[in-house]
Amino acid sequence: MIRLGLRLTVNGGREAVVRLILLVVAVGLGVGLLLTAVAGINAVNYQNDRYAWLNTTASSGSAHDPLWWLLRGDRYDGQLIGRVDVAPTGADSPVPPGLAHLPGPGQYYASPAMIRLLHSAPANRLAGRYPGHLAGTIGNQALPGPNSLVIIVGHTAAQLAATPGAVRASAISTFAPSSCDGKDCAISQGIKASGIDLIFSVVALAMLFPVLIFIATATRLSAARREQRFAAMRLAGATPRQVSLIAGVESTAAAVLGVALGFALFLLVRVPIASIPFTGTPFFPGDLTLSLPDVLIVALGVPLAAALAARFALRRVHISPLGVSRRVTPKPPSAWRILPVLAGLAELGFFVVHGRPRSTPGQIQAFLPGFLLVMVGLVVAGPWLTMAGARLMVRLTGRPGTLIAARRLADNPRAGFRAVSGLVLALFVTTVAVVLITTQNTKGSDPAYGPGTGSILVDQFADPSSSGSGRALVPSATLLAQLGGIDGVQGVMTVRSDGSRRLPASMFGNGGYLGMGVPAGLVSCAELGRFPELGRCPAGAAVVVFPAFPLWGADVSHLTWPAANVPDDRLASLPAFSVHAGTNGSLAAIEQARTLLETTYPNAASPATLGEQQTESNGRDAQYQQLADVVILASLAIAGCTLAASIAAGLADRKRPFSMLRLAGTPLTVLRRVVALESAVPLLVSAAVSIGIGFAASAMYATMQLERPMVAPDVVYYLITAGGILISLGIIAATMPLLNRITGPEVARNE
Amino acid sequence: MDRSHGGQAGDAGGDGTQMTATVIEARAVEKSFGQTPALRGANLTAKRGEILAIMGPSGSGKSTLLHCLAGILTPDQGEIWFGSARLDTRSEAQRSELRREKFGFVFQFGQLVPELTAAENVALPLLLNGARRNAALTEARQWFGRLGLDGLEHRRSGELSGGQAQRVALARGLVAGPELLFADEPTGSLDSVSGEHVMNLLTSAARERGTTVILVTHEPRVAAYADREVVVRDGKVASLTGVAP
Repeated sequence: MIRLGLRLTVNGGREAVVRLILLVVAVGLGVGLLLTAVAGINAVNYQNDRYAWLNTTASSGSAHDPLWWLLRGDRYDGQLIGRVDVAPTGADSPVPPGLAHLPGPGQYYASPAMIRLLHSAPANRLAGRYPGHLAGTIGNQALPGPNSLVIIVGHTAAQLAATPGAVRASAISTFAPSSCDGKDCAISQGIKASGIDLIFSVVALAMLFPVLIFIATATRLSAARREQRFAAMRLAGATPRQVSLIAGVESTAAAVLGVALGFALFLLVRVPIASIPFTGTPFFPGDLTLSLPDVLIVALGVPLAAALAARFALRRVHISPLGVSRRVTPKPPSAWRILPVLAGLAELGFFVVHGRPRSTPGQIQAFLPGFLLVMVGLVVAGPWLTMAGARLMVRLTGRPGTLIAARRLADNPRAGFRAVSGLVLALFVTTVAVVLITTQNTKGSDPAYGPGTGSILVDQFADPSSSGSGRALVPSATLLAQLGGIDGVQGVMTVRSDGSRRLPASMFGNGGYLGMGVPAGLVSCAELGRFPELGRCPAGAAVVVFPAFPLWGADVSHLTWPAANVPDDRLASLPAFSVHAGTNGSLAAIEQARTLLETTYPNAASPATLGEQQTESNGRDAQYQQLADVVILASLAIAGCTLAASIAAGLADRKRPFSMLRLAGTPLTVLRRVVALESAVPLLVSAAVSIGIGFAASAMYATMQLERPMVAPDVVYYLITAGGILISLGIIAATMPLLNRITGPEVARNE
Repeated sequence: MDRSHGGQAGDAGGDGTQMTATVIEARAVEKSFGQTPALRGANLTAKRGEILAIMGPSGSGKSTLLHCLAGILTPDQGEIWFGSARLDTRSEAQRSELRREKFGFVFQFGQLVPELTAAENVALPLLLNGARRNAALTEARQWFGRLGLDGLEHRRSGELSGGQAQRVALARGLVAGPELLFADEPTGSLDSVSGEHVMNLLTSAARERGTTVILVTHEPRVAAYADREVVVRDGKVASLTGVAP
């Protein structure tokens, strides 16, 4: 019986072969995506683990020979460099991964990408920051990705002990960023556990769901013909068990071939996928791997699931020797299906009106059910909305093509909606993600000091708003002169510390954010005059009170700072919170100034332009946005494949009446209209509805949680969404030749 | 031949004089499918208002002849004339237009669009010809009483018996007032009582409207409703009753 089932699968005529190919492709795509997603999550974990050693902090343990340790985020041309300064206190000092032994004083180890950068950049812009010479290469086990810029610089214990921010570490951390939620981590790189969950949820919901629907749709292809064949076998004496076995063999064979195709697809895309910086850093191809349990679960689980699904599908029909009948006639969906989505939107609306809970857990409890209700509600309401829309079309239309299409959708709205339900979820999830990321980015990227600040390099020695973040110091006149002498540096300004001065929050129009006011220092009006982006002095003033650190969310270019009665000579003797170097924005000027500042005043915070701080702050969101774009494109393409399969199934169901209509003179354009409307209308309507509800939910969330109006996403989102929908429509259009072929006169003659 | 079922050969059009003009004609038509010849020089003429039965065993080429006459297939050799115009040299689009506007069709089964109600199925040819929906449905509903289908207007094809579905198909074939009705085994899937019912309705409606009917059947009982019978054997047409082809 198994042999007969296999023979029917591969040698059951053209229709059976087409069905087998489509099923294999659908299962292959699904398995390929599943494996890529699983390998991707494994890769994120491997990458996170490689960040762990950078989390090394001061240890309270009593190791024999602790290691002096100073981690800094250095920068070059907008790229972040992980710089670690180390100094052993004895032979047993711990050694970071990727190194055979610690660099001695005057030596440094660098990652391969860092070595290339050191070779390509002039020494006064980069290499000059690192005392000594290159002693070796850092191994991959210490690098999050192949392009990671990491450098480990060796010092004597006495040198490093005198450097602000250096700590004594008794052990190298094995504490990955994924474990950092709620705990103190030294670095902000890598992805936290919540981030991994988010990625997994987005991929699972937005990509795997459409693939599962694609597989389900492909199994419906020529289902009627297949069931008739089973009935004929029953007439010839086959038992229900034997029929069930043959159905199981057919499905399992397709699943086994699909699994093989899926593994092949995964191996094909593994290297290109690894090079995409989903987390901001590309993966090593070797990190995109599958564990043995992963492989076994997919290789055995998918065929087993296919066999069970085939058995379940047969239970829905009654196959007797006299033919096939459906066990259950589906009832039309009722109006209550609209309630969950309305309830979800109402729940979010309630918190807009009454305000959000104060605590973070309370906020999660408030928003999560709302979003989940909307997501589930969209899928639940879909068939009813499809039916309502189709019935309206039936009532209004006078065109035969529209009438047939609308009747079909109204008769079986579940099937009509099923083909696009994955797309609905994908579009909702990605719309919410992209809109909120855009809104968050806009909130974070308000110009800190107005336009043009990307060329101002700030070396923040001390931050009075944060204890233990460096100490104010008196910059030498030599340094300031050298800084001013760099070609392309147009001005130097020092923010001096003078007691506990503050500026009132009302000056910045953002009392809620700045609370009790802003810690402030003093600047010379002569220096401030070279930085029009940073405000101005009142007429006649020589010294003004100025913020001690850059203010996020406040454009200060229009402000006039209050005058301070401090003599010039006293000002010059005061220690400084920070030094600002205004440049012409050229790479040479910024990097030479940075190298000079870093080498003169090494401390925990490396000099950075305001633009760089802003970019790094928004970097993670940009990565999620990139992932969202990939999800939109992939899910739309899969939805297009599902639509094509459902069109093919629908055409096969109506081959005879359509061919009869055609030979009775019905123009092919009318039949094309039927097919196009049946598939494109649910696609476009559901896309519009899910995007609309996504915007509505995002607007409410932005109002509540981000305390600002929603900001529409940029043009890339619209281009990608429109592009994906066009691809789906193109796939639908590609099925039109099938319509021409299977409704030809020979069908009417031979069927 | 028994004409008692209502055949009344020669009564078409009332006095029989209308049955003089040729409506459609096949001249030495040849058609092969691959290496298999289906028609080998078939000749056939149908007069206006005539009910013509084409008989023959399975595989004799009778359906192929009907499809060539209707412009569904184009012959490899020979000519098809509809009135004074040659049909087989026209493009597929022109033949489709002709079939839609001048011809009606009734087949053995499976011709109703399953999504549409019975009334919408009947109105479909009118809608395809550009009629307004309400006018088309009003016109379609008039056929339900005539064909004994009252109360079934809102049923779908799956909710109709075989005989009811064939009567709906008959109404759809005639609703647009075609000059020619092609019927390919119209009672093939029906029991004898339903088959007789459908044939009575088909012939009476056609005679009432002066529609020429070309009927393909292998059942002598069905062919007996025709004014004239021809038989197709080995791809050629031979006359059985009435005027020679």
